[in-house]
Amino acid sequence: MKIKLPKFTPWMAWIGGLVVVTAAGVAAGLMVFWKGLSLTNLTDMVPWGLWITIDLSSIAMSAGAFSLCAVVYLLGLKRYEAVARTATFIGLIGYTMAVLTLLLDIGRPDRFWHAMIYWNKHSLLWEVTMCVTFYLAVLALEAMPIFAGFGWLRSHWPKLSERMSRVHHYAPYLAIAGLALSMLHQSSLGALYGVLKARPLWYRPDISVLFIISAIAGGMALTVFASMLSARLTRHANVENSVLDRVSIIIGWVLVVYLYFRFWDALSMTYTYEPGRTEGLHLLTGGPLSFNFWIGEIFLGAVVPIILLLNKRTRALPLWRMLALALVVGGVVAYRWDTNLSGLFIILSYLPGEPAVTYTAYSPSLIEFLTGAGIIGYGLLAFSLEAIPVVGD
Amino acid sequence: MSDIKINRRDFIKLTVAGVTVLAGSQIIRRAQALETLASNGRQWAMVIDQSKCTGCDYCTLACRAHNDIPPEISWNVVTKTGTVGAQDVYTPRPCMQCAHAPCVDVCPVRASSYRPDGIVKMDYDRCIGCRYCEIACPYGARSFNWKQFDGPNPSVPEWGQPDISRRPRGVVEKCSFCYQRIDRGLALGLTPGIDEDATPACVVVCPVGARLFGDLNDPESNVSKLLRGRTSYRLRDDLGTSPRVYYLSATEESQS
Ligand code: SF4
Ligand code: SF4
Repeated sequence: MKIKLPKFTPWMAWIGGLVVVTAAGVAAGLMVFWKGLSLTNLTDMVPWGLWITIDLSSIAMSAGAFSLCAVVYLLGLKRYEAVARTATFIGLIGYTMAVLTLLLDIGRPDRFWHAMIYWNKHSLLWEVTMCVTFYLAVLALEAMPIFAGFGWLRSHWPKLSERMSRVHHYAPYLAIAGLALSMLHQSSLGALYGVLKARPLWYRPDISVLFIISAIAGGMALTVFASMLSARLTRHANVENSVLDRVSIIIGWVLVVYLYFRFWDALSMTYTYEPGRTEGLHLLTGGPLSFNFWIGEIFLGAVVPIILLLNKRTRALPLWRMLALALVVGGVVAYRWDTNLSGLFIILSYLPGEPAVTYTAYSPSLIEFLTGAGIIGYGLLAFSLEAIPVVGD
Repeated sequence: MSDIKINRRDFIKLTVAGVTVLAGSQIIRRAQALETLASNGRQWAMVIDQSKCTGCDYCTLACRAHNDIPPEISWNVVTKTGTVGAQDVYTPRPCMQCAHAPCVDVCPVRASSYRPDGIVKMDYDRCIGCRYCEIACPYGARSFNWKQFDGPNPSVPEWGQPDISRRPRGVVEKCSFCYQRIDRGLALGLTPGIDEDATPACVVVCPVGARLFGDLNDPESNVSKLLRGRTSYRLRDDLGTSPRVYYLSATEESQS
């Protein structure tokens, strides 16, 4: 079960580095709890920034879990079980990352539980909070048999381990619950933006569809990437390459669908001048976000991986495939970042007459970066220490 | 391994049932909300006469004092929005107390809610500080407490004494139409909009009487009469938020 760690090694350096980053993040996070959000560069104009991007991205990256579990249990494709397991694990890590980030981001972390008792069923943020909470529970249950398999648990608490592994029988139910919850919140994270009439760039139905499609691509990409990486690192992973190959093709096609919707969605916004919307679009196509948009999201995030993943020769080469998958992940993160900021950078005046547009800007503060890095560090650490053996098992 | 099977049809049935229940409860809740609105007697509104406003900003200062607002926050903002003839025109902006308020819709914990008299009220003990409402409000009427306000209030005592307690760090705050004054005044048998002690501080302080306050459901209130007599407009009416703040434009005739 345990990975055989060579004495010195890059592995140790990697883990050590992650521990340092995570510790720095914890320290920075405590500062935030103590001193409050004035330590950030967030303002009343741009109240959501780097953290919300990490939050949205880690949830998107966890979408592999529901997609692949659905493949296994609803379509009955047992071959995918090993990948689905990795995805579940990543999902568990991703959602805990999201919850941690949310705790940092809200002004009153001590009241995080309020959404559980003061329901506003009309609020998408409420719906997302509930779904995330329930889904985290589903993921924890789904991961239980994996934990049960851990050597130390099995030897120290055989009863508990036995009981935990029995949860496996409910896997199909869990997969269905997970599918329903994920379909709801993965898309309503986009709708969170899409329902705001005050922000013309966001105010459109497609944004929720784009969010869930990109999340499926990103989540599966991270899962395959992680499986390949751990296979290389531990040398005894038994994930069939043919399965990973299959999933990579699916990712390629999901990206095609995504790009197709994205194209029509964007095109429809270019036709007439609409105050706020047109300016927001210009921020993406020619303004401060344009590099992110054209290079990060479209070219490197979608076009290149589509070519690499749908072309049999490049897909067959592990390094090219991993590169493509990493690009997909980067593209999805860039999309979340751009979506949030392109809407917030535009301030539409409420004053009488033609609605005038003013601009604002934001770049994260050191403390935001440190805490953000800490959260990502935690995710990588958790994955490195736990999930690699999981894949390799 | 999976000896339990759920077929797809059952899954779809379950999903449809779930969605129906959710949608139903939503409709019921909306209907109830409308009922309380309709059943209550009073609907407060503010009228701001731009032909009178001189942009002195006294309203902002009185608001700061009476609501104990930190210096970096303003519940009320006065902006110069052009000229008519030789005169500058100003647009003061409190919270619009929208009848269809985006901030109420989006709040995940119902920390923003409608009072039966139409005022959009903040529950500072409930707000989790997610700032979604700030993003949703089309009028920029909401501010977040990035820091704890613990110094002296520069507007006190010159512009009045605080009627309410300070908000803690980490919650969003906004104009309340001074409902603490309205409620207290009504309890004392006063009429908001007529008696100073029952009227929002900004309305009371205005040296030129550019702000008026009263009950829209009372045809004889000063706001109802004014709105019947003159053409008014509301900010970003196109958004469907139905603001309770009405503006009377400054025109050439009104200046003379
Ligand atoms: S103006 Fe803004 S804060 Fe006031 S009720 Fe309307 S949406 Fe809410
Ligand atoms: S910041 Fe407070 S009032 Fe605003 S949406 Fe969040 S919880 Fe509600």
